[in-house]
Amino acid sequence: MEDIKAYIESGILELYVLGDVTPEEKRQVEEMAAKHPAIKAELGEIERLMELYAEANAVEPAANLRERILNSIVTNYADDSTFDEQSEYPVSRVTSITPAKVYAFYKYAFAACLVLLLVSIAGLVSMYNRLQESNSQIASLQLNNQHFVGIVNLKDEELEVLQDASFKFLKLNGTPKAPQAQLTVAWSPVKKKVWINMRTLNMPANDAEHQYQLWALVGGKPVDLGVFDKTADTTDMKEMKSTALADAFAVTLEPRGGSASPTMDKMMVIGKF
Amino acid sequence: MTKKRKISLSEEELVRALRNREKIAIEALYDMYSSSLYGVISRIIIDTATAEDLLQETFVKIWHSFSAYSSEKGRLFTWMVNVARNLAIDKLRSKDFKNQNKNQELENNVTFIDEQRNTVYNPELLGVKELVGKLKPEQRLILDLVYFKGYTHVEASDELGIPLGTIKTRLRMAIIELRKYFKED
Repeated sequence: MEDIKAYIESGILELYVLGDVTPEEKRQVEEMAAKHPAIKAELGEIERLMELYAEANAVEPAANLRERILNSIVTNYADDSTFDEQSEYPVSRVTSITPAKVYAFYKYAFAACLVLLLVSIAGLVSMYNRLQESNSQIASLQLNNQHFVGIVNLKDEELEVLQDASFKFLKLNGTPKAPQAQLTVAWSPVKKKVWINMRTLNMPANDAEHQYQLWALVGGKPVDLGVFDKTADTTDMKEMKSTALADAFAVTLEPRGGSASPTMDKMMVIGKF
Repeated sequence: MTKKRKISLSEEELVRALRNREKIAIEALYDMYSSSLYGVISRIIIDTATAEDLLQETFVKIWHSFSAYSSEKGRLFTWMVNVARNLAIDKLRSKDFKNQNKNQELENNVTFIDEQRNTVYNPELLGVKELVGKLKPEQRLILDLVYFKGYTHVEASDELGIPLGTIKTRLRMAIIELRKYFKED
């Protein structure tokens, strides 16, 4: 009798009613219940109490569910008489609905993501192209800018020469060899600078093997002041080599690169102070 | 109890009608037990649509495999609630259901219980609050974990960090409290 009481107290009967026992425990409980009426009675009592507990915690399902469920059973009711084995069919039919919807949702979500990704990539590519275009524009503008800075600097220097009182201007006139030839030289003995004004240069264009060379005559000796070219579009002033002393300036036509001493019969212009 | 019953039969009559495949038995079965069964299902499966599908499955299965029930082995409701709970637990542990219900991981369930109960309590059932008060919180927790949340007592022991023996004792104590309560009723 003590054993039976302890068995009841152990809680195994509750687990049996809750369906939470192993097949072996189940067989054991059923054996005990068959042998001992007290255990059978206790099992019945636990079942009754659990049923009452479930009733106390009952939740009323939606009203339309009654119709739906009864119909689903009645629909199969006619089949039952002939196809009793097909009891599993309605079960599988019911379960498959909800997951299908969810998968469909993920399918659309994935498609939407893919579309967004493609649109983004297209956007990025077009932005990249525009950026490249802008960069090349900036580069060409910088090049232009440098070019203009160069021009402005040159013009500044020209202006300086023209405004500087220490500069003397000497007009070199053509020799009998080239009576039409002309060139203006600006020279500052103080700053030892020599400029020639290409705008006033009136001499035939030199060929590829020859260049004009400017000379200063200092105490009767020629001093090389550098070479220059005459081309169709040379209109700027050009700075030559420096000299502090000069009695006269002259230009001769020399082989390209200049000569150590002037070729006197190729003298184009000369001017004296 | 204050439950509305459209069709009500004694358990013996109902079992006999079910065994004879009488149509009226289905309606009586639904009217007598749908809310109790739904109370269990809807606590295991929170999602209403899924819980409703499961209630339908439960009745279909009860109807089709009624031959498996024997009144020798226990009350009709005990058998039915185990059918319902097994379907709900199978669903809860099925792969596709887990994927769509990440928020119902086991570890969250314990804290869910109290919140949930407040919202799903059937307000028509007056005695419920009193009943809840009768059970000690630890008794109710274990009873509900196993009865309403589909835990095995081994899982409940792991989850709560309580020895198996204590789990069983508390279950037993809960039943004793229930007995006192329903006797007074």
